[in-house]
Amino acid sequence: MSAEQQAPIDLRGYWVSLITQNWRFRMLVPGPGEYADIPINEKAKQFADVWKAAADEAAGKQCEAYGAAVLMRNPERLHISWLDAETLRVDTDAGMQTRLLHFKPAAPAGPAAPGKPGTPGTPAVAMGASLQGFSLARWVMPGGGGFLAAPAAANGGHYGSLQVSTDHLEPGLLRKNGVPYGARTTMSEWWDLRVEPTGDQWLSISTTVRDPEYLQGPYLYDSVFQKEPDGSKWDPEPCSLSF
Amino acid sequence: MTTRSLALTLVSCLAVMSYAGAVCAQVDLSGSWVLESTQDGREHATGPFPGNFAGIPLNQQGREAGWAYSGDERQELYRQCEAWSMSYLVTGPWGGTFSAVRDHFGNVIAWHLSAPLYDRLPMTIWMDGRPQPPPQAVHTYSGFTTGQWEGDTLMTYTTHLNDSFLERNGPPLSNQATVRLFITRHADELMVLGVIRDPVYLQAPWVKGQDFRLVLAGDANEVPEYCQPAEVVEGLSDGYHTATELPDQIPAAQHYMQQHYGIPLLATQGGAQTMYPEFRKQLTGLYRTRTTYCTQFCCNGRGAQRLCKGID
Repeated sequence: MSAEQQAPIDLRGYWVSLITQNWRFRMLVPGPGEYADIPINEKAKQFADVWKAAADEAAGKQCEAYGAAVLMRNPERLHISWLDAETLRVDTDAGMQTRLLHFKPAAPAGPAAPGKPGTPGTPAVAMGASLQGFSLARWVMPGGGGFLAAPAAANGGHYGSLQVSTDHLEPGLLRKNGVPYGARTTMSEWWDLRVEPTGDQWLSISTTVRDPEYLQGPYLYDSVFQKEPDGSKWDPEPCSLSF
Repeated sequence: MTTRSLALTLVSCLAVMSYAGAVCAQVDLSGSWVLESTQDGREHATGPFPGNFAGIPLNQQGREAGWAYSGDERQELYRQCEAWSMSYLVTGPWGGTFSAVRDHFGNVIAWHLSAPLYDRLPMTIWMDGRPQPPPQAVHTYSGFTTGQWEGDTLMTYTTHLNDSFLERNGPPLSNQATVRLFITRHADELMVLGVIRDPVYLQAPWVKGQDFRLVLAGDANEVPEYCQPAEVVEGLSDGYHTATELPDQIPAAQHYMQQHYGIPLLATQGGAQTMYPEFRKQLTGLYRTRTTYCTQFCCNGRGAQRLCKGID
């Protein structure tokens, strides 16, 4: 069966982020030196202390705060759909980005390299780094995938999780005041669908960002999204470092 | 587990499956869990800034009650050991220790969540299908909680809560509030999503997530001591009289974020609209990013405090 057929939960549709945590750093652009809640190291602080938004905007780097390491953290709407039977597509209106969650390893874009091509851990030069990197996904079925496991159609689309591992990232910003992440950053995510008896649906994404270059330890945050009935509030806007 | 109890467990699982269409999960929550998320550090440490309710869907009644709150209230003698609501699990800095309560056949009839310090009281999640008590039954800070497995996720529902607070800066929680938790274990991580509803003080559900990590050695949530109220807290009232903010003092809390971070009252007063992305457009022209360097609470990420030594 394809990943689409195996899906224990149905994530398709429109979702809006609920900014109920870290409001000040997510809804507004914080001032210089506001690095609270990110386990930065000295090198990151030195980078951010001299970073200027205007310089990066002039260099056309507005989207560096919309990389995969923080994309799900931004105030935004998501549109989730199947690109094909093995690839889940996640579009954002904020920054107009697209993440592709691959359920099968892809062939490397560049020349062959040692290691398993297309899997996390493959050198970035072989795959080609990008803003959204390469995300490998797998369904985690209820009951550990045994005889109790059931695709969405059988369990009402309520149970099960999506595990995503991402690497091959271009350097970017964890916060719009210059807190950086580097090219060796990796990210792991758990996507869990929560369905209430009332019918309300919440998508919680737990993200762990690891960066040996700029972080002292894992940066772990939760993002919560609310299901919307349609795309009537979809509001594409370009990347910005000042909004 | 004996053959007999194993057979009974299997039969009861199948009965549950046929009754509710649910999967009889075998997830073991047992163990000591500590907070793992690196977010809301200020809120978890000294508490949220005064009068900052941005991202909380308060209605006008909740907003006014929150502004009238003074932290000094908690220092009054009879309130010094008062716990926060069980919803503190998704807003506070503490995890807890889960342990199973079993019947004679080994079936889990409840999960017990321990109390970290005296901030949050122990909580029992009843798994045996017992009904909610009548509305007039006793209300506590732990409330009355039932749970059921939805796949590998424990979904709980809490009622019968005491009047309390959503956060430590005063936004209120009424005794009509309900809390639904979704608790999912992924290996040594525990993901908890809380949905708080309150017909008295909230316009919409307040939804928050937190992650916890299993501590393999010892009990990281062991209660070190019971709360002992101080006779009189120095610098406050005589220890017995409530130190509530008077109406003419309210603006101080209301305008704290404007004065320190330039965040307008439109945002800090909270309300459902402040949770959504489009709210940022309402702040256009009202908020300008500060150009001066951060002077307080700048680097509280784990291990990062020393980077801002002399500032924080």
